[in-house]
Amino acid sequence: MANINISCIAIIGKQNNPLYIKNFNPSHADLKYHYIAHTSCDVMEERAAMKAQDMYLGVLFSMEDLSVYGYMTNTKIKFITVLTVPDVIIKDLDMKNIFRRIHAAYVSHASNPFYEIDSQKMIKSKKFEQEIEAIGRGRALEGGNRNSLTATGA
Amino acid sequence: MAANQTPAKLVNESIVEFLTTEMVEAMIRTIHDDAFKPGDRDLALSNAGDGAGGPKDYSEGDEAMEAVYYKLEMIGFRVGERLIERISKDRMRFTDNLDVVKFVCKEVWMFLFKKQIDNLKTNHRGVYVLQDNNFRWFARMAHDQSSAESVKKVTPYLWFPCGILRGILSNLGIASVVVAETSSLPGCTFQIKIAKTT
Repeated sequence: MANINISCIAIIGKQNNPLYIKNFNPSHADLKYHYIAHTSCDVMEERAAMKAQDMYLGVLFSMEDLSVYGYMTNTKIKFITVLTVPDVIIKDLDMKNIFRRIHAAYVSHASNPFYEIDSQKMIKSKKFEQEIEAIGRGRALEGGNRNSLTATGA
Repeated sequence: MAANQTPAKLVNESIVEFLTTEMVEAMIRTIHDDAFKPGDRDLALSNAGDGAGGPKDYSEGDEAMEAVYYKLEMIGFRVGERLIERISKDRMRFTDNLDVVKFVCKEVWMFLFKKQIDNLKTNHRGVYVLQDNNFRWFARMAHDQSSAESVKKVTPYLWFPCGILRGILSNLGIASVVVAETSSLPGCTFQIKIAKTT
C-alpha cells in the first residue's frame, strides 16, 4: 500500500470537459497538471478502445518525474491520477483501489439531485472535495512517511 | 466510500411503491391545476365538480397529459442517469448495445423490480422489446383483466420507468427512444429504439 505519492487527481467529463482538478504537490504549478490532463484525454480513449474490459487503464504515460494513471467509467467519466515516481514498483492493485475510491466519491456526488450531470460545470461540493482531499493527502502522507523511512534505511 | 464502514441503508419497499404511484397522481393533479385555472374553461368547471382528487379522465385534455408525460419522463430520465452511475460502478466495460440492453434486462431490472425481464426480442437493427409478464408496480393495482379502460388508466404509470430506461441509456452514451405499452395487465412491454449513430 505504501510509497504512493499522489501529486494530482483530475476528473474529466463525458465531452472531455474538466470537472475537477486538485494539485497535491506544491513543487509543480497547477498549469502543469491541466496540461497533463489534456494530454491524457486522447491516450485514454485509445486505451479504452484497445483493452475493452477493465475500467482501470494503467499507466498512460510518464513525463519527467511524473507518471500518469487513467481510469474510465462506463459512463465515460475519466479519472486521472498523477504520481511522483517512487523508487519501488507500484502495484496495479493499489492504483485500482485509489481509483475505486475516487469513483465512489464521484458516484455519491452524482447522486445529488441538485447536481446537473450534463451541465459541464466544474464540481463544487464540500463533501466531494473532502473525500478527494482524503484520498490524495492520506496516501501522500502515508507514502511520504514510508519514503523517508526507506531513505534512512538505504 | 462509506459503504464499507456503515451498514447498508434500507428503505421500506411499500413506501417506494406508494411514492411512485402517488407521484403520477400528483403530477396529473398539478398539471391540471396549472393548465385550467378556475373559471378558465368549461372543462375546468366540469372537472371541478369531481372534487379535489382532480380529473381522472385521461382522454380529456390531451395537451395536459402530454405535459404530464414530459414531466414524468424527465424525472425518470434524471433518476436513470444517476442510477446507472451507481449500478455500473463495479462492472466491466460494455462491449456493444446488446450488452447494455442485456445489462438492463438483468441487473437493472433486478435492482428496480427484484426480477429479470421475462423476454427480450430484438431485430438486431436497434429495436429491442423488453417484455415483463408481471410488472412489479402493477402488482398492487386493481384492474379489469381485459378492459381497455384499465389499460388506458395504467399508461401514465409507465412513463416514469420509460424515463429511467432512457436516462440509463443516455448516460451510457446511447441515444434512444423508449415507449411502453401494456395489453394485458399486470404485464407490460418496453420498446427501446436506438438511433443509429455509431
